[in-house]
Amino acid sequence: MASITIKDMCVSYNKGKTYVLDKLNLDIKDGEFCVFLGPSGCGKSTAMYSIAGLLEPFSGQIYFGDKLMTETEGGKKKTFVPPQERNIAMVFQEYALYPNMTVRENMGFSLKTKKVPKDEIDRLVNEQAAKLELTDLLDRRIAQLSGGQRQRVALGRALVRSPQVFLLDEPLGNLDAKLRDQVRYELKKIQKELNVTTIYVTHDQTEAMTMADHIVLLSGGHIMQEGTPNDLYDHPANEFVAGFLGTPQINIFPCSVKEENGAYILDAGTFRLKAPDHVKASLAPYTGKKVDLGIRPSDFEIAQEGVNSIPAKLDSIEPLGDAYLLYVRIGEKVVVFKYAGEKAPTETEMLLKPNMEKLHLFDPETQKRINA
Amino acid sequence: MQDNMIAERSKAGQAAQTLKVKPKWHMTVLHIVYYLILVLFLVFYMLPFWGALVSSFKSNAEAISTSPIALPQNFSMEGYSGAMDLLAVSLLNSLVVTIFGAAGSVFLGSICAYALGKWRFKLNNVFFIALIAATYLPFQAILIPLLKNITNYGLYDNIWGIVLAHSIFGMPMCTTMMRGYYSEVPDALIRQAMIDGNGMWQIYRKIVVPNTKLATITTFVFQCTSIWNEMLFALVLANQGEGAQAPLATIVLNSFVGSTGVEINQLMAGSMILALPMLIIYIFMGKYLISGQMSGAVTAS
Repeated sequence: MASITIKDMCVSYNKGKTYVLDKLNLDIKDGEFCVFLGPSGCGKSTAMYSIAGLLEPFSGQIYFGDKLMTETEGGKKKTFVPPQERNIAMVFQEYALYPNMTVRENMGFSLKTKKVPKDEIDRLVNEQAAKLELTDLLDRRIAQLSGGQRQRVALGRALVRSPQVFLLDEPLGNLDAKLRDQVRYELKKIQKELNVTTIYVTHDQTEAMTMADHIVLLSGGHIMQEGTPNDLYDHPANEFVAGFLGTPQINIFPCSVKEENGAYILDAGTFRLKAPDHVKASLAPYTGKKVDLGIRPSDFEIAQEGVNSIPAKLDSIEPLGDAYLLYVRIGEKVVVFKYAGEKAPTETEMLLKPNMEKLHLFDPETQKRINA
Repeated sequence: MQDNMIAERSKAGQAAQTLKVKPKWHMTVLHIVYYLILVLFLVFYMLPFWGALVSSFKSNAEAISTSPIALPQNFSMEGYSGAMDLLAVSLLNSLVVTIFGAAGSVFLGSICAYALGKWRFKLNNVFFIALIAATYLPFQAILIPLLKNITNYGLYDNIWGIVLAHSIFGMPMCTTMMRGYYSEVPDALIRQAMIDGNGMWQIYRKIVVPNTKLATITTFVFQCTSIWNEMLFALVLANQGEGAQAPLATIVLNSFVGSTGVEINQLMAGSMILALPMLIIYIFMGKYLISGQMSGAVTAS
């Protein structure tokens, strides 16, 4: 068990000419389930490999607890604990099971390397195998297993050794949807039970939202935002975060800000909204300028009267079972709206009322959030 | 997975049979011509072997007086018994040199290939290019210095001197072959083994070698063949003739052609005996060798 601290870490694949990760600073608490989320190429796996010690950063420090694991400066290493001495367990997307060993040998391999007595290895492997329903498969070869079984073996192999840090690199990427939900649930449960500091790399925002205590959203080698899933969802720090989290994606309307009779009006051309009082202060500097207004698909409802509402035309309906996704036209723009009613609306012309408490306002130039 | 593929293929084969279309006449003629050419080359290629085989079962008088490709009129083993008497010691020597020489070069090559194929270090490309260059180095070019070295170590006319030379000079070829295999071992596996607490050489021993048995077998057989058939080191690094300490079979066989005339049946029987071990290896290992060589090992350079 250990917390992880990263200080000013830069990673470069070309000796400092360009950085894959640029001045990364991060604190991961002991026992926390931390998810590195981001599009491919954002540096999330690189960050994890640096923590594992599979990669030497160009500069910066990595601590497990108070213990310095990596310290490099300008491409020269000062302190570097090799991965085999960091007491970490890792699950790779490719599973990386040893083909020359049986399931039992795979799971016990790290313990055998640590010279744990054979009885103890057997006990731990059997215990973990029972939890993951692998008992019947223990004497099989890896080639005889299905994808889901391999996945469970890879997890089991990481879990038997009670590591101080548990690293998972897109471990559910190769599973089918149903199995993925199940493993996701189990993984979260196991992590809570063991209370091991866990880092989980994924590009899937659903996985991140459902599992994480702490999401670190990366893009282009920088942390876009970190915090709890709800922090990121409810208060996205910029348009990228707002767009990355939540399906369907947030709707963005470019608006100009006008002041009329002491109230601020957001004018999108096709509709006008009176800004609520709590964003007044944030909007004041933007009077006469443009802002981007973000409204999540779930933050609309159908209104009866016309005050502060948006006229829209129904385009198409996607039933989700418990709700409907309505694609509506506002002017020429197609907007998604999640409608929670029992029956899909029949009328083609409707008035949409956005939840004014949940507006997201962004500066169109810096893309940063304006309102608190 | 392979089984599946075979099943798929045989299915495709059945489909092809049911759909068989009668070929046009000129295609049939072309096919006949192809086969004629193939048979011609086969005969041309196999005739000397056939000649050696039938002559080895003749008495010497018959071997001299009859056509070399005619079947023996009186089946005789005297060629073989004579050849065995002359070759016995040298065959044993050859066997020792082959097995230990091949094992030595495969061992060295495997370690080099692992370091070059799986780890990045300074100048690793330079090392690899140097090794490839060494693969093409003609042995004749370094014979004299090699001989002096071996003599200095006191290993002249000693089978272990020849083993040493083969181990070292076979190493570049083994490295080139095995590097191809080792680079196919997924990096994720190596990383995982590191995470599981293993250092560089533990990974080699526990993960890389056990998962590339085919590579080891292929390279070993390849080396065996070339060492078994090799003559230059055998000739130069050991004393020949009377009192030789380390005569090898290839050299002794050639000394059958002596000043007192040639016992053709013995010579041919000796050739057959010498060819036999490699023939057996290829018959039993052929399957592995083909699949091994197909997976990019030999063409890695």
